[in-house]
Formats: sequence, structure tokens, C-alpha cells
Amino acid sequence: MNNTILWYATRGAGAVSLVLLSAVVVLGILSVLRVQSTGWPRFLTVGLHRNLALMTLVFLALHIVTAVVDPFTHLGWLAAVVPFSSYYRTFWLGLGTIAFELLLAVVLTSLVRGLIGQVAWRLVHWLTYACWPFAVLHGAGTGTDAWSAWLFTLQAICVGAVLAAIAYRLMAGSRDPLARERSSFLADVDRREGR
Amino acid sequence: MESKNTIQDRVRARDAAMRLLNRLTAGAAVSAVVGVGLLGAIGAYTFPGTASTSTSTASSSSSTSSSSGLQTSTTPVHRSSSSGVAVSGGS
Repeated sequence: MNNTILWYATRGAGAVSLVLLSAVVVLGILSVLRVQSTGWPRFLTVGLHRNLALMTLVFLALHIVTAVVDPFTHLGWLAAVVPFSSYYRTFWLGLGTIAFELLLAVVLTSLVRGLIGQVAWRLVHWLTYACWPFAVLHGAGTGTDAWSAWLFTLQAICVGAVLAAIAYRLMAGSRDPLARERSSFLADVDRREGR
Repeated sequence: MESKNTIQDRVRARDAAMRLLNRLTAGAAVSAVVGVGLLGAIGAYTFPGTASTSTSTASSSSSTSSSSGLQTSTTPVHRSSSSGVAVSGGS
């Protein structure tokens, strides 16, 4: 395969992954707020959040694989796994590695949520709030196109959407009238089952 | 009878929502694949990684070296998989 095509694929897949990840974060926040309407039941938000999260992993894998196998960059597999081990833009690439690993942890713990319990799952899920900014900074610092008008606009839209969702969540508070009771009940269940 | 209708309505609403979820997921997947190609193409257009025109930084009559001592390129500069090659004048 042509090296240049691999490079273009890396950049395209990176930008798409950022858009998908931002959509996942926004949908996650909306699901906590229990947003729903007649034509949009609550499980639709949760289902779309889950499906897009899995899709994000697929496109992130494409982003990483095309970057690593591109013979021009000589990044090597170690840089994709061990943060800050790359010779090329060590810090910014390291942030991307951390973001990927955090997302992997969040998705994997969600898939085995029944095994690890609600409290552990929730604690790991909070890592998303670290994962997303790391991904944004990685794109801004490493990306060849970081300051191109098109990518800058895309990043601005992603950041704006997530910040607006966070602000909405902070202002709206919890929509679940039984949130406290539900959490303490689930924590009790976890404790009794020894999780 | 009324409760049976209500249950059927809820089942229908749930089925409709599931169909919507499947359509949205498929749409997002297709859009993402198209997005990789489209954004890759835009990236290639804005920052192709190749210089298709030759540049000349040497103002002197010598055509083999510039003041920095590096040779100027008279051929298009492309990304290369080989390492250890220094090329100037490609910007």
C-alpha cells in the first residue's frame, strides 16, 4: 500500500475518532440526565451511546494501526502501547496513547459491568472525563492538520458540544428523584456480594 | 382489554425505537467510513506531504549549493520510506 495513503488514512481516522468520541461523551451525559421524549425513549440514548463507543474503538484501531504500519513514521508498536515512548512528538503522542488506554478500560469494564459491580464500573467510567481532553490535546498537539481551518473547526465543534453538555448537566442536576436511594441500594448489593 | 392495548402500544413503540437505533447506528457507521475518506482527502488537499514544484533558494550563479551548504532540489520532493535522506528546499 502507498505510504501516503496510510498517512491520509491515519489523519482521517483520527479526526473521525475524535468526532465519535465527542458524540459518545455527549450521549453519556444525556443518558445521565434521562433525556427522553415520545419518539425518543431513554434506552435509545443509552443504546446509541454504547454502539458509538464500540465504533469509536474500531476507528481508533484504524487510526493506530495505519500510523504504526506506515513505514515513513517508524513509530513502532511500543509507542502505541507505552505512553511517552515515541521518539516523535513524545508528549503529544503519549497523551493519545493514554486516551486510547483509558477508553479501552472504560469500554471493557462496561462490557463486564455485571461482573465488577456498579460502584467499580462507575469509578472507571468517570475516567472518560480524562480520556476525552487527552484525545483533544493529542489531536491539537500531534496532528499534522491541527491548525488547518477544517480540523480546527471540527475540534471547536467537538469541544463546544461536550462543554455545552457538561454545563447543561451541571445546571440541570440529577433528573432521577431516586438517585441517592438507587446508588446506596446498588452499593449495598455490591457489598453483600463481595464485589 | 384496555391494558392489552396499552401493552401492545408499548411493544410497538419499543420496536419502532429499536429500528431507529439500528438505523442510527448503521448511519453513523457509514458516515464514519465516508468521513475517513473525505477528511483524509481534505487533509491530502490541504497538507499533501509532497512539494510538486521545485524551489530555488540559491541566488548565486552556483546551481549546486546554497549559502547553508545544502543542495537545492530541482525535482519534486515526496515522502519517502527510506531513512537518512536530508532534503532541503521542499517547503
